[in-house]
Amino acid sequence: MAGVTETGRFRSRLLSRAWLSADTFQLDLERPPGFYFAPGQGIRLSDGGVEREYSLVCAPHDQHLSICVQVVAGGALTPLLAGREVGIVLELSGPHGYFIFQPSDRPAVLVATGTGIAPFVSMVKSGLRGFTLLQGASSIEGLHYRDLVQPSAGRYLACISRPAPDHALPAWGWPGRVSEAARNELSPGQFDFYLCGSRTMVRNVAAIVDERFPGSRVFFEVFY
Amino acid sequence: MKAYTGGGDAGKTSLLSGERVDKIHCRIEACGEVDELSSVLGALVASLSQEGRELQGELREVQADLFRLGARLSTIPGSSAFAMLPLFGEEQTRRLEAAIDRLEARLPPLQGFILPGGHPSAAWAHVARTVCRRAERRVVRCAGERAETARDEKLGDLIAYLNRLSSYLFSVARECNRIFNVPERTWQA
Repeated sequence: MAGVTETGRFRSRLLSRAWLSADTFQLDLERPPGFYFAPGQGIRLSDGGVEREYSLVCAPHDQHLSICVQVVAGGALTPLLAGREVGIVLELSGPHGYFIFQPSDRPAVLVATGTGIAPFVSMVKSGLRGFTLLQGASSIEGLHYRDLVQPSAGRYLACISRPAPDHALPAWGWPGRVSEAARNELSPGQFDFYLCGSRTMVRNVAAIVDERFPGSRVFFEVFY
Repeated sequence: MKAYTGGGDAGKTSLLSGERVDKIHCRIEACGEVDELSSVLGALVASLSQEGRELQGELREVQADLFRLGARLSTIPGSSAFAMLPLFGEEQTRRLEAAIDRLEARLPPLQGFILPGGHPSAAWAHVARTVCRRAERRVVRCAGERAETARDEKLGDLIAYLNRLSSYLFSVARECNRIFNVPERTWQA
């Protein structure tokens, strides 16, 4: 694919941190010269001798590299990243991964849970439009980047697995898990499914695709 | 990257180009043989000591080739994923031919059919050679399938590579016995 280079190792300065919710933040990093990627690809970020892979939420034409990080209590890297001072230099490698958008004549259904929205943010920033997006979170607050991705979707459902009992969901809200929405809200047909987020979601949606949408394609990336 | 998803618990899996196929699909079967081949090569590399350092380097390159070959097997031509894959086939096959020529120049002429065995590394090389032949047969079978998910005119490049790789592994087996001063045994009719 044009613009994608061989994987390399780089050093990059931490430019800013923006909290998206109580436990999730976006890190902006200096873009090393010569670093190119395709929307959906990621980097491996190292700090304190620990390395983890993160999908990029930026577009290939953006000036900086950005990732979305959820703090894992007791985790080896995310608590460190949450506290690192802006200006420090981190090591990274990339680009990594094959979770890219593969155009076809089938309608695209993007399914994300939690920070699994990250590669889709990069795709939308790069011009992807007209897809169906099932974005899952336990609450409305967990729908990271919704303002950015929803307007580009042909159909958008925010699947809230634990809706607050005293608050009505907005029109784009759907009470339940993304896998249940995939089962109940999609008409029969052949689709290209892009799944990103939890292992359980990938497992459940892949099983639903095999059962209800034969002939569909499934691309997936498991985050947690 | 996580070590498991469970997305294949019901016997299906995704190709790199997204198609859902049974785990007994010819491409998946072929990938499995290539995976086994790479694992046997790992045992071969582990059985080589300092004297086999040059071979170790070459064999690790072959293992890297096999990852690329596996990715290629898992991807239907014409897909966007296919466009992202590095070219594979002719260049790697030429490299193997050069390696075979280099080894042959050091080895004594063949005196007959060689019985697999000798030094443990040579024995592993023969096991690898036979697994390689099986992988080759699987890819040939895949190339003959009519199903849309199997059809692929360019599988011929992969078959040529595996064909040459098994020849290379035959030479490697002989080289291992030469390095470790273990006589070759030939079949006596």
